[in-house]
Amino acid sequence: MRETIIAIMSSIADDSDLHLKSELHDQDVLLECGLDSLGFAILVAHLEEEFGYDPFSLMDQPYYPRTFGEFVAIYQKYAP
Amino acid sequence: MFETLFQLLSELPPDGRALLLPSECIPMATLRRDASLLAQHSQLPKGCRIALCGLSPLKLIKAVIAFDGTVNVMLLLPASMDARTTNQLIQSSHCTHRIDALLDEPESIASLLNLPLRDEAPTRWLLASSGTTGTPKLIEHTLASLCRSVKRDTVCGSEFVWGLLYDPCRFAGMQVVLQALLSTSGLCVSESMDFDTQITGFIANKVNALSATPSLWRRLLMDGRIAELPLRQITLGGETVDQNILDALKHAFPVARVIHIYASTEVGTGFSVHDGFAGFPANWIDSVIAPLPLRVREDGHLLVKPWILPGGKEILDRVDADGYLDTQDLVRVEGDRVFFLGRASGAINVGGNKVNPEEIECCIREVEGVYDVRVYAKKNSIMGQIVAAEVVSAIEVEPEPLRKSIQRHCRSHLENWQVPVFISFVTALKETSSGKRERLPV
Repeated sequence: MRETIIAIMSSIADDSDLHLKSELHDQDVLLECGLDSLGFAILVAHLEEEFGYDPFSLMDQPYYPRTFGEFVAIYQKYAP
Repeated sequence: MFETLFQLLSELPPDGRALLLPSECIPMATLRRDASLLAQHSQLPKGCRIALCGLSPLKLIKAVIAFDGTVNVMLLLPASMDARTTNQLIQSSHCTHRIDALLDEPESIASLLNLPLRDEAPTRWLLASSGTTGTPKLIEHTLASLCRSVKRDTVCGSEFVWGLLYDPCRFAGMQVVLQALLSTSGLCVSESMDFDTQITGFIANKVNALSATPSLWRRLLMDGRIAELPLRQITLGGETVDQNILDALKHAFPVARVIHIYASTEVGTGFSVHDGFAGFPANWIDSVIAPLPLRVREDGHLLVKPWILPGGKEILDRVDADGYLDTQDLVRVEGDRVFFLGRASGAINVGGNKVNPEEIECCIREVEGVYDVRVYAKKNSIMGQIVAAEVVSAIEVEPEPLRKSIQRHCRSHLENWQVPVFISFVTALKETSSGKRERLPV
């Protein structure tokens, strides 16, 4: 799942002329990874196509991740 | 007799906080003095029509205090606006003087043309509608209409420190400026609209009141630094507000009052919802308890009866026999709540940036191999909506290369947020029963 997320992030960055960090670590601040807000919106939309769910619309207690690790963990937690 | 912004500020305590910079507090007396000096130095003839172009938030605030009541027209143009549009709007508003970013330097004021002076009247503020492409619409206000929903309670106001996230050239930004100044709350501004600079300033000044779009609030929560702010007032507007973002903010800032505002270009600030739920109470419809008279037409259009109806043929055509204006916002009544569905025109709101689907469709039709296209909004948890397109292609064309050509073409002709994120291929496009293109968000 982590690899799929990174692959999609990388393809969005390429398409949008953004520069994604060469290596992503769990503690990296999400908004400093290279994608902008629109980039994350596109990422969440593509991941919904890929995995079949959008965890942000499933949460009882909405929460927005700050780090890359938290972002991946949210997708893992809400996997059907 | 009308009051000017300078006069309104003169009634407030001179030692009260006005503007807060990262390392400095500008009291009301100093702000008034700076504005007064600016008015003297600029030597603008009474009754002229000025364009304030790309000023920093700090300079713009000083300028509007200096010139409100003196000039006939004040056109506020953000730094983010391109030169062509800026010039077009200056010309169409018949501005006599253009004031640019240098402001303090005499050469920053350029005289454009001479117009006969008009009778003394309140300054007409011209604000550009936000986020659309093409030439933005100019919305005319006076200080009185801008202040209509501003609370001028200095006792309550003194407990707040507002942060300015919006561009003050826009209606929502100017609302924050006037609210903060006229209630002596103190307004944290920065020299630029840079996000990091703004956040650093907010933290240094312990900002406890903020107004932003839902998308911007999501970005602030993801950024995380605002967790340090002692927020007590959280305002959302400019996009449809969903329950998720309201709950996330309530959870992150349990003591804050979270309100969302329904405002439109024509209505100004229509009403605000304080109960922490998305949409608004259904018992406001056709009821005296509503903040302003509201109706839902059979086709789902929200109608409102604004206190002051703006002029112009386009507006008058949308007013029914009872004086209700068609907001062109689509709503659905579900139980005891009314929820917003989107614009009747199909306009897409990507994080506060409005996208006209017809414009994107035109662009996509330019690509060889495209027969027809429908552009629509797709719901998104981060930006509210994103752009999607359904394409009918020529039979002999391979979908994948065509998808790439469309995206390449859109990227070189459109803004990032206008480029369709999803492109699907269909054999025919859906139409509504009235033969119009189906544009409801999915």
